[in-house]
Amino acid sequence: MSQYPSADEAAAALSAVERRQRHVVDQAQLPALFWWATAVLMVVFAAAVDAYRNQPIAIGVSVVLFVAAILGATGWAVRRTMLAQVSSRLLGVRGVLAILVFVGVDVGISLAVAFAMQSRGLTHPATTGVGIGAVLLAVGGPRLMGYLRGQMLAQTRTMP
Amino acid sequence: VIWKNQQLIPDDAAQVVDTSDESAARFDELIHAPTRLSLVALLAAAEWAEFKYLRDALELSDSALSKQLSTLEAVGYIHVRKGFVGKRPRTWARLSPAGRVAFAGHVAALQQILRRAGGSGIATGRDAAADDHDAPDLADQHGHS
Repeated sequence: MSQYPSADEAAAALSAVERRQRHVVDQAQLPALFWWATAVLMVVFAAAVDAYRNQPIAIGVSVVLFVAAILGATGWAVRRTMLAQVSSRLLGVRGVLAILVFVGVDVGISLAVAFAMQSRGLTHPATTGVGIGAVLLAVGGPRLMGYLRGQMLAQTRTMP
Repeated sequence: VIWKNQQLIPDDAAQVVDTSDESAARFDELIHAPTRLSLVALLAAAEWAEFKYLRDALELSDSALSKQLSTLEAVGYIHVRKGFVGKRPRTWARLSPAGRVAFAGHVAALQQILRRAGGSGIATGRDAAADDHDAPDLADQHGHS
């Protein structure tokens, strides 16, 4: 025979549901260290490009090292998320737009600064442009994660 | 059995519940068991989850989790897939469409209980979402826990 849950039991059950769903959303968050590590790698790579502009082999080595380091950092950051993939339904249109806007603004500002400096004949255009983008990434990345977390938790409440 | 307006009515009346409406409140005793509710809630927020993640998140033994997964798989609420990552065996679970509907209905039923009792501050977000739904019945779909 069915036992009709009391209001307290129902509230406790809903609280448990929210707690478990928050667990899934939280384990998908990238740590702040990932954003800073990526920013530093970007600046180092850009500095190498500026320093070895006329040395293709040095540039090639820099590219290989940069890609390997980025892959390593990304692998470290997402290792937890490989255990459970958060539902794409939770991200929603706003989440996707937030990611696209963040990437677009970051890359756009970096390129604009770098090309503007280059056209004026200033030194270290790549390092400066990427440096600004790296700061935006390091500061904005955790904020983006926070926004996406809020969006996903809100989605779990409206779409169990 | 089915609960309607907080009264128990006969088994055959459960058929009147409109299962085509995904938002219908439908109390599901199979899901309501605490461990399975937590398990299904985890899977509802994920595309899929690995056995190890579920075991650690729920603080269950391997055998206890296997038993719960088998129970949910037997009624078609989850799909379990086994495979290998490198040479290591892995097991993944995901909520089926039927399981997602059952979970949504169960959450709606819990919200309905709260509303009838005068509400609660614990799940206000879910309450607000459920206010948009017309969910009159609380049905025991399986009759076991």
